[in-house]
Amino acid sequence: MTDEATNPSPLPPAPPTTPAPELVAVLDMGASAIRLTVAEISAGGVIRTIEEASRGLLLGRDTFSGGVIRSSTIDATLLALENFRHILDGYGVRHVRAVATSAVREARNMDVFLDRVKRRTGIGFEIINEAEESRLVFLSVQRTLARNPALRGAWTLLAEVGGGSTSLTMLRHGQPNRSAVYALGAIRLRQQLDLRRLSHDVQLSLLNRSIANMIEEIRLDIPLSRVTQMVAIGGDMRFAASQILDAHADEGVKVLTRDAFLAFCEQVERLDEEQVIARFRLPAVEAETLVPSLLIYRTLLSETTAKRLVVVSDASLRAGVLLDVAEPGDRLSAEAFERQVLASAEAVGHKHRFDRAHGRHVAMLATRLFDAFQDDHGLSVRERLLLQVAALLHDIGIYISLRAHHKHTQYLLAASQIFGLSNEEMAIVSNIARYHRRRLPQHSHLPYVALDRDDRLIVDKLAAILRVTNALDAEHLQKVHDIRLLRHAKAWTLEITGTGDLTMEQLAATARADMFVETFGRELVVRPTGAQL
Amino acid sequence: MSGAHSLDASLFINRELSWLAFNERVLEEAADPTNLPLERLKFAAIVASNLDEFFMVRVASLHHATGEGDEAPDVAGLTPAQQLAAVSERAHALVENLYRLVADHLLPALASAGVRIMGWQDLDRAQQAALGVLFRDAILPVLTPLAIDGARPFPLLASLSLNLALRLAPIDGHSGHRLAIVQVPSGLTRLVPLGAAGTFVLLEDVIAAHLAQLFPGQQIVEWACIRLARDAELELDDEGGRTQLEQVERGLRRRRQSDAVRLEINAGASTDLVDQLRAQLDLTPDEVYVVTGPLDLRVLMALTELPGLDALRDAPRQPVDVLADLRQADLFSLLDEQDLLLHHPYESYDPVVALVAQAADDPDVLAIKQTLYRTSIGSSFIESLQRAASRNKQVTVLVEVTARFDEERNIRWARALEEAGAHVIYGVHGYKTHAKICLIIRRTPQGLKRYVHLATGNYNERTARLYTDFGLLTTAPAIAQDATAFFNALTGYSDPPRLKKLVMAPTDLRRRFLALIERERHRAESGQPAEIAAKMNSLIDEEIIAALYAASQRGVRIRLNVRGICSLRPGVPGVSTNIEVVSIVDRLLEHARIYYFLNGGEDEVYLASADWMARNLDKRVELMFPVEQPDHKAKVLSALRAMFRDTTKGRWLGADGVYGRPGPAPGETPFRVQDYLYEQAQRTAALARRRTGVVLEPD
Repeated sequence: MTDEATNPSPLPPAPPTTPAPELVAVLDMGASAIRLTVAEISAGGVIRTIEEASRGLLLGRDTFSGGVIRSSTIDATLLALENFRHILDGYGVRHVRAVATSAVREARNMDVFLDRVKRRTGIGFEIINEAEESRLVFLSVQRTLARNPALRGAWTLLAEVGGGSTSLTMLRHGQPNRSAVYALGAIRLRQQLDLRRLSHDVQLSLLNRSIANMIEEIRLDIPLSRVTQMVAIGGDMRFAASQILDAHADEGVKVLTRDAFLAFCEQVERLDEEQVIARFRLPAVEAETLVPSLLIYRTLLSETTAKRLVVVSDASLRAGVLLDVAEPGDRLSAEAFERQVLASAEAVGHKHRFDRAHGRHVAMLATRLFDAFQDDHGLSVRERLLLQVAALLHDIGIYISLRAHHKHTQYLLAASQIFGLSNEEMAIVSNIARYHRRRLPQHSHLPYVALDRDDRLIVDKLAAILRVTNALDAEHLQKVHDIRLLRHAKAWTLEITGTGDLTMEQLAATARADMFVETFGRELVVRPTGAQL
Repeated sequence: MSGAHSLDASLFINRELSWLAFNERVLEEAADPTNLPLERLKFAAIVASNLDEFFMVRVASLHHATGEGDEAPDVAGLTPAQQLAAVSERAHALVENLYRLVADHLLPALASAGVRIMGWQDLDRAQQAALGVLFRDAILPVLTPLAIDGARPFPLLASLSLNLALRLAPIDGHSGHRLAIVQVPSGLTRLVPLGAAGTFVLLEDVIAAHLAQLFPGQQIVEWACIRLARDAELELDDEGGRTQLEQVERGLRRRRQSDAVRLEINAGASTDLVDQLRAQLDLTPDEVYVVTGPLDLRVLMALTELPGLDALRDAPRQPVDVLADLRQADLFSLLDEQDLLLHHPYESYDPVVALVAQAADDPDVLAIKQTLYRTSIGSSFIESLQRAASRNKQVTVLVEVTARFDEERNIRWARALEEAGAHVIYGVHGYKTHAKICLIIRRTPQGLKRYVHLATGNYNERTARLYTDFGLLTTAPAIAQDATAFFNALTGYSDPPRLKKLVMAPTDLRRRFLALIERERHRAESGQPAEIAAKMNSLIDEEIIAALYAASQRGVRIRLNVRGICSLRPGVPGVSTNIEVVSIVDRLLEHARIYYFLNGGEDEVYLASADWMARNLDKRVELMFPVEQPDHKAKVLSALRAMFRDTTKGRWLGADGVYGRPGPAPGETPFRVQDYLYEQAQRTAALARRRTGVVLEPD
């Protein structure tokens, strides 16, 4: 009883030399509440939750109806955060990471709002995008799933229905395969459908219809019918699990049978908000989200063949942020992370019927070239990954039309979500892919000039590499097996090795070296291995 | 409540009558010749004091109901008017028995030990003369005689104050006797000592002997002592105190001259005097209590505290000094190794006091959060909290400013805490905070550590010696997290949390109790052994009682130790034959709340601040906590089980609503649970000492 260690694993008896654990706080501003976790992170990255607090605040109600957060809601938010500040001060917490999601992200007065928050409470919120949200949520369940292979199916759907959006990640043998965040949330639905004055039955049918519409869209991205296991997280599911199992569901993993869950949904959907409050003694804010959110889970579940619903109770966006704070970037090993990003990218490619062999081949050649003069271009592994993704997907615009397909690629990619990549990174990727052919960047190219200077530079360098290497597989036949960059003082030589006659490839690459020359200030001579100048 | 409503009213005992029955049991202790004289006197004084509260609060509220034409019957089927009638009949009998006992037995027993309250006539001339001087010098200057006539209305006499009522002969030209009132000053000691040690005369008798000086030239026809009880606008809280009613409720009540609910008057007063007073106070004959003996028997309490009479009172019992036995003065180190479950007053309350004191002084303590429902004046808790705040620790104190007459004093120390830098919260809107919890957050080399104290009794060192209560000192992480969340909710920093281990009222406690009772019922229905045992101060809640009846009918064995009010009727064929109710009234006030559920062998033991009363479950912030460590569970359970073995002070409630004391079976050794628990605590401590080895240290 006296051992204070809690999840995720017991605190080892610390030798006296171990530095004292660091206190951190994570805040999450969502569509229906602001939540705080104070935790300790000890040297081994072990996290111990000290305290949790939350304040129900319907930011989403404002954003999803009027597009702005109203001043009364702002005041309530400031008050709630000032109170949280008291909690933080009681512990003397210095390290605070605060994130905000769709309800703030989509509010037109987001900047002014966050500025007021920062000035009043000293807490600086960071807006995270959908893909980052997915990544963080996945982080928080990853360990649980890794420890319990039985909880996974061949195809596992990880779902979190929030107030503003629904985050879905498809896991293939436990690894993220594709993921997306949809504008389907409990508060959002309520606001968009303006349910207040309608009878309960009409409300239900409207809700079900909107959910069904969105599921159509989801099906295009994610093959729900293949799903054999569903993992759900989020407060509403935790609550449902506690009711169905008649047990506390605040910790660990709870498994609900499909039938039990469907029966519970059927019971709950008949209750209006007042009845939900009376029956379950839920706070009004939670009562408001319960029914829509369960309906979304139910619809998702019924699209799958999963026999049961696994509820991972201690997983949440906040838990993910905390893990990220504990070991930034390290929770997912670099290699695993790269694999997941690429798997997710391939899923996007697949959706647009891309030539996978070509995409993969160009990605291979492009990274070879990237690695060959890394000391010169000075870019990191992160940019290398962006190059890979751009190379994989540079041709997806063909799905729309062969003509000007580089432009189609650009906007398709800008609107796509790839696991682990932020919106900013997707903007970079889409530009790199765009310049794989035709004109070089111009001031009239809006997506390009929308980037800041540093990001434009990244695009220039990576697109230069992609242009050349894509040309090496112009025929989509993967004839060039390898490349070697010989750097002489005056000009650089790109030696290509491959099968059969490589003249076509040599000519094409030479023609597409224009951007390379402009960007890196070097002439680039392309020649087959063994050929003489 | 739907379940309760379908039940017959005859299955419930009216709470007011049950409350009177409790005081009859206390009176039994006063009458018990095996108790020592001063202990008996104490019980008598307690009955008197309890009755005062009862009239000012419960009877007053019945008056309100009848005054507003409320005819809705209570759960036992009695309308407010019927309740008033029944209460009056039983209260009159109780008062009569009380006075007879005091006059015939208690005062004579005291007299044979040399302690006497003398009447004026019993004094010799010298004594009377000495008192005459005292009257002139010290009493007369503070008296304000009030004659009542057309121009001077009857004064608004303070509730429970002692007064002399006089009838004065008519002045020439006027007809009829006039009333006059002399208030007996409450600032002077009522027991006026005479020369000989242990001999007293009552202040009102001294004044009465000199009335002529107050009304010179007038003929005093008669005088009598009188005392009023008025609507106190308070509620009783079963913790030896009064709490103020909710603001809203109070706003609805209008102060009225007629809000007197009881008149006490000396026997011997004429019918004329009584009638005249009744007319002035708007009282019915039933509301007049004519008593033979001194009014306000709370005065007896002062006699029990006289020095030199140790042979007449129980020897004081020393609680087990847990800290000395553990030989660990530093509570933090101690609690780092083990949790402590303390049973007061068998075990000392010092660790609780010491924990907060050490927290105030420990530089590594970051924060202390504590509820203070009713604490003693000059409490060392307040002192520690103040010290902690002045050392820049985050101190959060939830104060329930309740006891009306203490309000000013309460506010004074609360302000002092605030000035020292503490965050003082004066209650939660709409709910009284009755939970007893303290949380200390401390930095250690291994990270933050939280120490929690949870209890069934208040943070009050004085009552901790007289009330039986349990307290748990723990560092269990789940409880610590709940405690943190609980305080965040109370301070308004966070929404009410979903708790893991603690159960909180008004949010979840009622539902949890009903679920626990229902679970036993289901077990019984499926043929498993099922058992509930519980200990509390009062059992009134209809919904819980209905659930207990349903469980009993399915074969759940239910044993209840209810000290005070019990609206449940045990032993009713077909309804409650499996329920047993015992009340213990002994020298210590039984105060712990324990709830036990067999749960098919995986038994669960809980301690709580709440009774099974609607008020506790719906209108208060309360906490229940599980006792999970096996030896702690065994300790609580053994105490709970022992309650049902008491053949000396245990009274069993019958289906007829009457409490009986079966006593030990022939040949059986009498068993007295409070003695047993005391000896048990001493034995356990001695055993522990032997195990750890005795260390002799030079002086």
